[in-house]
Amino acid sequence: MNKHPASQLLGLIVAASVGGLCLPALADSPNEHADGIAVYTKWCAPCHAPGIIHPGTSALGAKYQGIKSGVILEWTDLPASYVEYMVRHGMSVMPHFRKTEISDSELKALAAYLSRNTP
Amino acid sequence: MRVPPGVSAADYAKALPEFEQVVGKEWVFTSDEDLDLYRDAFSPFMGEPEELIASGAVAPITTEQVQEIVRIANRHKIPLYTISTGKNLGYGGSAPAYSGSVVLDLKRMNKIIEVNEENAFCIVEPGVSYFDLYNYIQEKKLKVWIDCPDPGWGSVIGNAMDRGGGYTQANYRNHFDSHCGMEVVLPSGELLRTGMGAIPNAKTWQQYKSGVGPWIDGIFSQSNYGIVTKMGFWLMPEPEAYLRGTIGCMNFDDLGPLVETLNYCENARITAGFPDLASPLLGYSPVGQLQLFFESGAHITPEHAKLLATVRDGRSPALEAYGRAQGIPYWQVWLSFHGPMEVIEAQWHAAIRHFAKIKGSTAQLVDKTALPIDPADASKFHEPELGVPALRAFSIGARSPYNPTPSKGHMWFSPIIPRTGEAIIEANKVFSAAARELDMPLFRTFTLPACFWERAFVFILATPVTTDPATNRKYREGFKKLIAIGGDHGWGEYRTAPVFQETVMNVYSYNNHALHRFHETLKDAIDPNGILSAGRYHIWPKHLRGKKS
Ligand SMILES: Cc1cc2nc3c(=O)[nH]c(=O)nc-3n(C[C@H](O)[C@H](O)[C@H](O)COP(=O)(O)OP(=O)(O)OC[C@H]3O[C@@H](n4cnc5c(N)ncnc54)[C@H](O)[C@@H]3O)c2cc1C
Ligand code: HEC
Repeated sequence: MNKHPASQLLGLIVAASVGGLCLPALADSPNEHADGIAVYTKWCAPCHAPGIIHPGTSALGAKYQGIKSGVILEWTDLPASYVEYMVRHGMSVMPHFRKTEISDSELKALAAYLSRNTP
Repeated sequence: MRVPPGVSAADYAKALPEFEQVVGKEWVFTSDEDLDLYRDAFSPFMGEPEELIASGAVAPITTEQVQEIVRIANRHKIPLYTISTGKNLGYGGSAPAYSGSVVLDLKRMNKIIEVNEENAFCIVEPGVSYFDLYNYIQEKKLKVWIDCPDPGWGSVIGNAMDRGGGYTQANYRNHFDSHCGMEVVLPSGELLRTGMGAIPNAKTWQQYKSGVGPWIDGIFSQSNYGIVTKMGFWLMPEPEAYLRGTIGCMNFDDLGPLVETLNYCENARITAGFPDLASPLLGYSPVGQLQLFFESGAHITPEHAKLLATVRDGRSPALEAYGRAQGIPYWQVWLSFHGPMEVIEAQWHAAIRHFAKIKGSTAQLVDKTALPIDPADASKFHEPELGVPALRAFSIGARSPYNPTPSKGHMWFSPIIPRTGEAIIEANKVFSAAARELDMPLFRTFTLPACFWERAFVFILATPVTTDPATNRKYREGFKKLIAIGGDHGWGEYRTAPVFQETVMNVYSYNNHALHRFHETLKDAIDPNGILSAGRYHIWPKHLRGKKS
């Protein structure tokens, strides 16, 4: 199912290390999702990286009660179109994002990255 | 296509291509879909006709572009509303105060012009977030700290312009006070530099705040007299070590002496880190640990919970007796210290000596660590107290195992009250009685104020925003009553969202609203066409005065 285990792992490392420290030069690694990872790391990881200290992850853990992970990076039912919808509409305390924050092309890259495990 | 109020469709149609010529087609927004992104995500009007919306948005990338846009707006009398990063959630978000204005979105102006380690300052553009500045400093391994609010994605400039606060040492926590020098585009399009920046080829723009003559920087904050395109800030040299400890008191009546001693210790600089008040006995965590409460719930025995139900305005002899028997302090203050280890240990010991005057009080060391800490350990602390930006505070109101009904955000009710135990108790009495009557879920048992600023407390209550318009209406009206009730007691908000700015400004009414009338006089002189951020903090241009409320 997961076509790019290495890239997923990379994403997780990036995510786990956000919430403070700056990120090392992962952008140098050849990765088809490098752009998506960069957007995710900047705009989503502070709330969605693994661990309850991230309010998105904590909320989604409570929402899906073990039916699926609270970590959106691990979801296998997250279509690109839904990512695009969420980013422009928000939900609960998650605000929507303007195009000066996440441009349409950045959003495409982000959606491709987050939906990479969704058939 | 949406058209700004008071502007003819023909004039707007002339202005748009002029805006496009300045910033490029891609950065002028006119479609509903794009403009909906300028809605306040925490708006208490969501889905109601009164919601504040944008008719357009323009996103320049240079100061010259800002000047050009302002000139065009002046020619066509188009109302603009400035945002830097537009993340003012709980205080208005990215929406204009005058509904239908064109939002001037400065997010793309994101240059960090300088971070000076030697003299510990920076100069930034409006789109620079606390995350950006922090990452830049880390990458360059510069030994300076930022002071950030809880949400790290806000603008260093935008936060200061709404006079926000943070969590490190006292002289950095007040973000407007810690600025040094501004560059401002005036409503005429002319460029102004304040302080030493007014000297061509200035050498000390970020080192000396006031220059000479009237020091006007303050008038640009919480106002609509200009657009700040650069601003300097003083940074804290990276401290060598961090120490944190608590002082606990067992009696209800100890609150007054606790606050008095805290004030002395802070004003005398025995302690300078963010002081944080808590009540373990009343189940009220310190501000810096609210996230733990939202993440992991309250840990209270059934007996303790039963006693909590007997509390009125914080006082309960039965609870006090329980606390004494169990060793749970009624009141607690968290003190933190940054500096050389031998200095902060000595400061901590001096603080203990002063607090020891309160009979039965106890002191406990919590952390003592050399800095910088391993970034992986930052989450063990309240990150902003170590100068590390995060978004963890969004756990407030979010769904969690302890909160099955997440909110749609919140509106911050945040009056300034005196720094005394008496005022804390009075504010609890007054506002909890009002909240009960207004049916607003603002109190659990008791609320302790935050110590962002020296000399005064801010008594913050998060008013939830829901998906139900009727509930939102009730809370909005209730919020306005709370503002007026606070005013009757001599308390006023430090900051508020556009929807409440008129009500708050009306509290500041000494001598027939002399202050507000002065604001209007300035507005008329500086911005005769009234094109900049009309209505912000209830400062309306002449042609809208009395018509908007
Ligand atoms: C959970 C949570 C916790 C929070 N904690 C804190 C906290 O600890 N401390 C705190 O201060 N706030 C806090 N806030 C409130 C808010 O999120 C921050 O203050 C945030 O930094 C403000 O948004 P911003 O920086 O994007 O400013 P912006 O939205 O860009 O600007 C705010 C306002 O300032 C004016 N302005 C902005 N830029 C300019 C300019 N260049 N020229 C002229 N005027 C300008 C505009 O009127 C604008 O509406 C919190 C909010 C939430 C939801
Ligand atoms: C300020 C914190 C925050 C940020 C930043 C954030 N989110 Fe969220 N997000 C949340 C919360 C909280 C929820 C859970 C809402 C709920 O309780 O239903 C959520 C939910 C989601 C969901 C699941 C929706 C569902 O149907 O259950 C997706 C997908 C999502 N976010 C994507 C993103 C993406 C992509 C980004 C980055 C562009 C992002 N989020 C940024 C807080 C955040």
